Amino acid sequence: MRSYDVILDILSGIENQPEILFRQVGDRFLQVEYGRVQRAYLPDSFRIQAIDRKVNSENIEGLIETVPGLRTNLFHFDPDIITIEELIGIIKNIEKEFKSIDDVVIESRIIHLPIAFEDSETKKAVEKYIREVRPDAPNVIDGYNLKYIALCNGVTVDEAKKMILSTEWYNSGGGFWPGGGFFWPMDPRCALVVPKYNPPRTWTPEGAVGIGGPCVFTYTTPTGGGYQLFGRTIPTFQFSQKHPLFRESPFLYRSADRIKFHETTEEEILKIYEHVHDKTDYKYEIEEGKIVVKEYLDFYNSEEVQKGAQELKRKQEEAKKTAPKL
Amino acid sequence: MLKVINGGIESLVEDYPGRLGYLSKGMAPAGAMDNIALRFANLIVGNPLTEAGLEIAGGYFEAEFGTNTVISITGSNMKPTINGEPVPMYEAIEVREGDVLKFDHFGETGFRSYIGIAGGIDVPIYLGSKSTCLFGNYGGYKGRKLQSGDILNFGKPSKNIRSLIGRKLKKNIIPEYTNEWEVKVMCGPNTCPDYITEEGMDYLFSHPFKIQLSSNRSAYRLEEIKISNFFAREDGGEGGSHPSNIIDHAYGMPGALNICGNTPVLLVADGPTLGGYICAFTIIKSDLWKIGQGTPGRDLVKFVSVSREEAAEERRKVESLFKEQSLV
Repeated sequence: MRSYDVILDILSGIENQPEILFRQVGDRFLQVEYGRVQRAYLPDSFRIQAIDRKVNSENIEGLIETVPGLRTNLFHFDPDIITIEELIGIIKNIEKEFKSIDDVVIESRIIHLPIAFEDSETKKAVEKYIREVRPDAPNVIDGYNLKYIALCNGVTVDEAKKMILSTEWYNSGGGFWPGGGFFWPMDPRCALVVPKYNPPRTWTPEGAVGIGGPCVFTYTTPTGGGYQLFGRTIPTFQFSQKHPLFRESPFLYRSADRIKFHETTEEEILKIYEHVHDKTDYKYEIEEGKIVVKEYLDFYNSEEVQKGAQELKRKQEEAKKTAPKL
Repeated sequence: MLKVINGGIESLVEDYPGRLGYLSKGMAPAGAMDNIALRFANLIVGNPLTEAGLEIAGGYFEAEFGTNTVISITGSNMKPTINGEPVPMYEAIEVREGDVLKFDHFGETGFRSYIGIAGGIDVPIYLGSKSTCLFGNYGGYKGRKLQSGDILNFGKPSKNIRSLIGRKLKKNIIPEYTNEWEVKVMCGPNTCPDYITEEGMDYLFSHPFKIQLSSNRSAYRLEEIKISNFFAREDGGEGGSHPSNIIDHAYGMPGALNICGNTPVLLVADGPTLGGYICAFTIIKSDLWKIGQGTPGRDLVKFVSVSREEAAEERRKVESLFKEQSLV
């Protein structure tokens, strides 16, 4: 009889931050988990990102890659070059350098992305879904998902759009689909939540923007998908690597990037596609920046923000009672 | 070069170890599903072990050679023939311009054959690998499986091809195939007591699981969990309503056993790199190849939990096979 215990080590947290668990994942991976409770709390991710940058800057021999998520980080290593005990030791030492939350500051760019709400291309994806997958889909109202998004959150379509436009959306890390990122609202007053498609779509155009659960996703290539669609943005990935921004790698997003949407016309979006993929002379608007976690917590915990966030939660609770389930 | 006459069920360009380092960019490693068979195929024809070969899943692949060269065939025995004559496996065989290589369907054991070609396959290296990721339609030959009319070019052989003819793997080194695969795993990240009950973990190791017909290069689906007290939690908390839900975390890919609702799913080559389901254990590096030979709809998989030391010993044993001394 063998033990099923997989927690190899535990490190106590700092201030109000949770303890850190080191979990075994086969012979090639280590998962570092923040706390035991399944919670979606951005400061956990900020800390993970800060540690992740530090670990990766040390060029540890045998460490193949890290895959940070919202409350976990997965370390992929070659066990014939570095032992798991050595790896845990290195991570623990770096964790200990962060004595308080004041020490946690992360580089975080702001990528400005134009968006056209309810454009004709993403509308085609919704039409195709109604035609070929689920004709009676309750999440399609007047041929689109925006009204359903509003309905689920107890707000109007204009209010929903305003929420999408007014917060910065933070990337807790990529995964699942090439070049994608999972974006969370920095401002809890803009934390829309919606169920995902059931069953999923078979096609979504490149650049479609949608929300599933609490996360926003920009579709990097045409694919299926389950997020409720609300518009279309510009390319965020380029397989062919023709545009100068993508020459080094086909990816736009890095972990901890923030995106900020501004509204534009569909015509403008289409023009940008041409300038990214064909003429390759579009200038992406990317600002260097950082997230100072202490400042973020002050903002997050301020009376005004908390009041607004609670108010939204109340509206969502109410809306849940009447919004059609999927 | 070779010209594909029939792409068969699923024939792909794959290398080893695939596209490493892009899990956080949403890119699975892809690569050969049976890395041992591919590496033997390369060893026999004098290629670097990491070189790309052809992965023939299911069978019926047929192609005509446009050049004289040397090839090797490893993996599942699909009764390969050249111009209708049976050819030996695990041996460097000479092919001439105009020769037609043809495979039957997958054998009594195993599901994938590999073709090694002296000099390897000349497809573009995308993000460090020649492997096809079918799920994302990139890499390999135009990001897709081979079809009739495709032309594959070869690389330059490392040795004089005449000197390669007749090289073969020693009989006792050829892996043993079966219809009931014993696969070694190490537990984690989500076990008991916090996610799965002790009875639940015992259940995973208690009997062989049938590989479902719907399995593919992304996911090997196994038969449903049939006990009621498998999960230790009522629900997934903020991760979702089902106790198999969790807030999205990265998967130990390839090799993670994902518990998706009540279905255990092995995430393999092209599988998702991150998602919202718990993972009970992960196949150890030395045993990943067995899944590549597991035949959907027919074979069974039985899991055995091993220690870190045993996993290291298994790696050492497997890695020691790929040397000239393994050849006759």
